[in-house]
Amino acid sequence: MILSVENLKVVYRGVILALDGVSLEVREGEAVALLGPNGAGKSSLVRAVAGLLPKFEGRVLDGHVRLFGEEATHLDPVRITGLGLTAVLEGRPLFRYLTPVENLVAAGHRLSPRELREGMDEVFTRFPRLYERRHEQAGYLSGGEQQMLLIGMALLTRPRVLVVDEPSLGLAPKLVEEVMHTLDALRREKGLSLLLVEQNARAALAIVDRVYVMERGRVVFEGDAQSAQEDQDVMEFYLGKEEVGFRQARRYRRRKRWV
Amino acid sequence: MSDLLPYLIGGLANGALYGLLALGFVLVYRATSVVNFAIGEFLLVGAYLTYTFALFLPLPLAMLAALPAAFLFGIIVERGFVRPLLGRNVVAVIMATIGLASTLDGGAQLVWGPDLKYLPGSLPNLGFQTGEIFVSSRAVWNLLLALPLGLGLLWLLRRSRYGILVRAISEREVAALALGIPTARILAGVWGVSALLATLAGALLAVASGVGPNLVFLGLKVFPVAILGGLDSVGGALLAGFILGILEALSQRYLETVLPGFTEALPFLVVLLVLLVRPYGLLGERQIERV
Repeated sequence: MILSVENLKVVYRGVILALDGVSLEVREGEAVALLGPNGAGKSSLVRAVAGLLPKFEGRVLDGHVRLFGEEATHLDPVRITGLGLTAVLEGRPLFRYLTPVENLVAAGHRLSPRELREGMDEVFTRFPRLYERRHEQAGYLSGGEQQMLLIGMALLTRPRVLVVDEPSLGLAPKLVEEVMHTLDALRREKGLSLLLVEQNARAALAIVDRVYVMERGRVVFEGDAQSAQEDQDVMEFYLGKEEVGFRQARRYRRRKRWV
Repeated sequence: MSDLLPYLIGGLANGALYGLLALGFVLVYRATSVVNFAIGEFLLVGAYLTYTFALFLPLPLAMLAALPAAFLFGIIVERGFVRPLLGRNVVAVIMATIGLASTLDGGAQLVWGPDLKYLPGSLPNLGFQTGEIFVSSRAVWNLLLALPLGLGLLWLLRRSRYGILVRAISEREVAALALGIPTARILAGVWGVSALLATLAGALLAVASGVGPNLVFLGLKVFPVAILGGLDSVGGALLAGFILGILEALSQRYLETVLPGFTEALPFLVVLLVLLVRPYGLLGERQIERV
């Protein structure tokens, strides 16, 4: 098991319960999507597995995170990335005042100068646009370019499992497709495991094997991508297959209490 | 004209010290957003450390030996006063530095006493004379140490891997952590370097005028210098140090007879005027905003 989360409970500031007993698994070489609406607790899960909760005044109340079979619930982020899990947080967490080259250098801080140079070459070959703008401040790159840079940075940490939080946020549909395609290609080439956290369920479903759906701090659906697409509720509420009219919206609220 | 030059050289010598000290201050501010009100005390402790070493060693060696000691001192301060408050409001850390300042002030007087002490021994005399102009040894030493160190640091911050990591952390610590960058260790190093710079400034000052509790007041000069350069600009700190040093010298030459005491107020007046035109300081960075 690459990553397993068991009955995880997370609170912020001691009182706000963000995760209420979440369990999920990512297996070797597998791509898993974690879907759910705003405030479902997806990002809290990302922070928890990356060891970043303390930075957000949060902590794990109960449950376990295991990485490659090792207990990793309360490890610090330096150890966790050392083990091979890299999380790309939401909100394009790159260094805006640094150039793309410098961003990559920062990300590849563990590599030897030669490995770093080779890694950078690889990123720039994959994303030629970044190469053209390699000496501009990253804050001035377009949203798509920033996302590519983030993926490149994540690669330079040499991960075995990659957790990506909302890469589609604020991107045009065309670019979303491109980002998803890139993630998919990378996973296959490098044999990575991928946990893709998304609100854009349609885009995510195209490249994953299995799906978890979260709501209000709990997992409310779990299954392979195929069955998610066939599941009536998941399709309606998260994929927007049919227009959710007023009546359905009320039904949705009613159902929510049951899950 | 020829009577102006000695003033200018003196101004440059002072400016080098201001620059060094402001460099230490700005480095910490930039990396951790902590306004270190104890920077004057760093200088004081550094000067006393140099003095203590100088009791056993020749002065140049004592100055050298004080540097690693100062680095260690900076790390201890970071571990003891800054790290426990990390993640809290920045103001909490700033208040802690004010407390630290008083503690160090008192501590230094307890250990070394309140009286002015002169360093035994002296640096080799590097003063020289060209024609009418006499360049003091003090000026040569100050510039010789401050300029390469300041520019070297600037280069390190711009180009080296360590510098890139410092800048990355200073911009977004959480993002740096997520990449597995050991932020705590690097930030401790930054405090160490800051203390080292303050110590060198303190040592140079001590060589010229002895060590006593009043050295702390040079710490006050740091604020106009750092703000003038742009609080987050390391290069600006160095530049502003020299600018204010020279302006002070000019004021001493021309204005002191008309307006006694004006020189003391001058740095703050200059800052006020510059900030009206350039709110980010001379070399301060503008915020990137994508709309």
